[in-house]
Amino acid sequence: MNNGITRRDCLRIMGMSGLGIGTGSVIGKQLSPRDIGESGFQSSVITTNKVQENRSSAVLIDGKVIQPQRQLPVLTETDVLVVGGGSAGIVAAIAARRAGAKVTIVERYGHFGGLWTGGLVLTILGHIALGPKQVCQGIGEEMMRRLDKMDGAIIHRSPGSNPIVDAEAVKYLMVEMIEEARVQVFLHCWGVEAVTQDNSIRGAVFESKSGRQAILAKVVIDATGDGDIFAAAGAQFEHRSHNVGLASRIGNLDRVDKTKTADTEKPKRLGSVTPVRGVNWVNLTGPEVDGLDLATMTRMEMNHRKYIWNKIQKIRNAPGYDKVYLVETAPQLGVRITRILNGLKTVKVNDLKNSTRHTDVIGVGGASNAEHVEWQIPYGALIPHTVDNVLASGRCISCDLRMADLVRLIPNCFVTGHAAGVAAAVAVRDRCKPRDADITEIQKILRQQEAYLG
Amino acid sequence: MSDKELSEKSVIKPTGIRNHFRLLIRFVCLIAAVLCLLPIRDKDALLPIVPALSSFVAVTSVLAAKTIKPILGLGLVAGLVALFRHRWFCRWACPMGLCLDGASCFGRRLKRKPCQAMSIGRWLLALTLGGAILGYPLFLWCDPLALFTGVFLLTEQHQLLAGAVSFLLVMLLLTFSLLWPHVWCRGLCPLGAFQDMLSIMSRSVRSVLKSATDQPDGGYSGHPVARRTILGLLVGATSASILRLTGYKPSRPLRPPGAVDELTFKGLCTRCGNCIRSCPHNIIRRDTGQYGIAGILTPVLTFDENYCREDCTRCTWVCSSGALVGVDIDNKQDIQIGMAQVDMNLCLLGEDHECSACMRWCPYNAISYVFSEAEYMLVPVIDAGKCNGCGACEVACPTSPHKAIRVLSNTNIS
Repeated sequence: MNNGITRRDCLRIMGMSGLGIGTGSVIGKQLSPRDIGESGFQSSVITTNKVQENRSSAVLIDGKVIQPQRQLPVLTETDVLVVGGGSAGIVAAIAARRAGAKVTIVERYGHFGGLWTGGLVLTILGHIALGPKQVCQGIGEEMMRRLDKMDGAIIHRSPGSNPIVDAEAVKYLMVEMIEEARVQVFLHCWGVEAVTQDNSIRGAVFESKSGRQAILAKVVIDATGDGDIFAAAGAQFEHRSHNVGLASRIGNLDRVDKTKTADTEKPKRLGSVTPVRGVNWVNLTGPEVDGLDLATMTRMEMNHRKYIWNKIQKIRNAPGYDKVYLVETAPQLGVRITRILNGLKTVKVNDLKNSTRHTDVIGVGGASNAEHVEWQIPYGALIPHTVDNVLASGRCISCDLRMADLVRLIPNCFVTGHAAGVAAAVAVRDRCKPRDADITEIQKILRQQEAYLG
Repeated sequence: MSDKELSEKSVIKPTGIRNHFRLLIRFVCLIAAVLCLLPIRDKDALLPIVPALSSFVAVTSVLAAKTIKPILGLGLVAGLVALFRHRWFCRWACPMGLCLDGASCFGRRLKRKPCQAMSIGRWLLALTLGGAILGYPLFLWCDPLALFTGVFLLTEQHQLLAGAVSFLLVMLLLTFSLLWPHVWCRGLCPLGAFQDMLSIMSRSVRSVLKSATDQPDGGYSGHPVARRTILGLLVGATSASILRLTGYKPSRPLRPPGAVDELTFKGLCTRCGNCIRSCPHNIIRRDTGQYGIAGILTPVLTFDENYCREDCTRCTWVCSSGALVGVDIDNKQDIQIGMAQVDMNLCLLGEDHECSACMRWCPYNAISYVFSEAEYMLVPVIDAGKCNGCGACEVACPTSPHKAIRVLSNTNIS
């Protein structure tokens, strides 16, 4: 927030945006400037001698921890609920809003962008095919064009190359775009459960400092990356292991005196340049583990942290590299693949090799620049077999083992998010299940929103 | 019958009804050969016919590769007929012969003196057959039908350069025929010489049988041609065995699937260009001599734009000699072209970048990425039991200008 916006202002904006739509009343009341300013100090009493309302703590009965049945407060009702504000979720929310639906997005961290920003995956990789041709268009490309106009937000934007962004610029831009689209936002909300009725999802339950609450929606878009919501609703999925790493940024590389070290002894694995001068972002692949296992995740976080710190010390020990330092490690672990939806259709590697065309294409993915292929993503890959009213987007859509590494790339998440958003809006408008939504209408609106469908 | 008489007989003298009839048949054969070699749909079935009619190539292939494949049957039958009908192929069918005879007739009108018989073709033949026994037929590439077939590479859009080489060779022969009429058919052609040899063999056998019944005390007392042939066979065999015994292992380029061992391949390949033409992905090119003069113009694989597909074995079936053994689709994975090798100094994973292209494209699931705890990074590991060197990984590898993963021929793997 370099233009003088304080944390309080920021919270107020969030609260106001909630008020503006008329459903953010809880937050709006607690943070209204009138209440906060009254004591004349920086802190004020909101309620005295308070006992938590709607308390329903788990209780220990016969050595078992029992969660009592309870009614959850419904925070809001909406047309389209997007769970997860990463690269897929943010595009889905904007797309659904532009297609005319009322949209709410919840995000577990305090910022948007998911692994793109919080995971420090700063390279936009996999949006090109056939040399310089860019297949990721639509809202994803609109974001990049807006980053172009911001100072120090994005580099390497020439055709055929992989752009690199600044995470803070992206976080800022996403707030701006979500506000412009007038999407209702709840940050610091961890979507944990689905609200189901028969075989349909009717909303989601999430945890926050305000307690366990529900949001009801006509269509839910699972942009959690891990497929938390469709899994909770009982949709079939494949549980996979993949590499879990931790990205970081290192600084002062512009102050390295390369003349002091022989070429053969220069430190390697210094990462890629970023828009910030002298700062590189360094990827880390990590071992192949189960990204849903708490103990494993904890071990990964601790091991990676030790490795990164020690590696920096080694770099600093090389003559001329003593000023290099660790700027930050990513707030989020680099989880690549966990749950993959078993969808009506599956993105298959043979379809990539044979350039298969789908009638229900909702987007085109790219690959590395040597692979020279564009591969179509069918609408069916976002739809679970049995559960209704939920659409997958991002890295957890239905794909085979070998395609997961393309599906999970940021621009391809933009593409599936865009499609899920438009499809959800069409389903809401036509009062039908997403699986019955008119595919030609979805494709028409996607094209109107400048998506590339091959 | 002397050498000269034998060779004189192969020269056409278009006089009389019979000669006109023969000329007609020869034109029909030429047209048929051209039709077989033109780029039509499903050309693969017709492509090998013309070069496979050479009895010289068929017999040499059987001797050198010590296997037989169906297409070689054509040449063997042609050879069998030649035992009883001297040079029937030259007189009735050879498309190359007709073209060269045309040039020769023109040359004679220009008052060029017809060439006298020479025995270079015999020497080429003897050296080739002698080498073939030990797996290295030296001059098989001089086969006229292979030369003729090679010209049709020009009909393929992507093979102009490869075709131009064959075209120039044939133009050279035509020019020779113009300057020294009949020089090829009479003195140089090893296929002609082979038919001469077959003819002499059958005559000799027949005369031995005849003299055995007619004159019990008078035997066959050798023939200068036979002596020369035996000498040539010995020289050919010796040169091949020297190459083998000295442990000479040529640096092997990447050959099309089903290629026999390198030394034999260089000898057995007639350079007809059929494999190059049949490849639907344009990955077979002519060797320009990077692997020694002996392998010049032979087919080598390049994985610049595409790889040797798991669903294709076309080149092995259009090969009219024994250089490429026919491969069934089901066995494709077992046919070793080479072996993929990773240079971690170039590999993106070595710099912690995100990449999975080679693993994704490998049709045989031979590549996996293993996390090295010591290096704290992913390392591509190639399963030697699954990799057949198809090159899919090399094509997909995004590093440039040098690919981090490359297929090396088995002799070049460190």
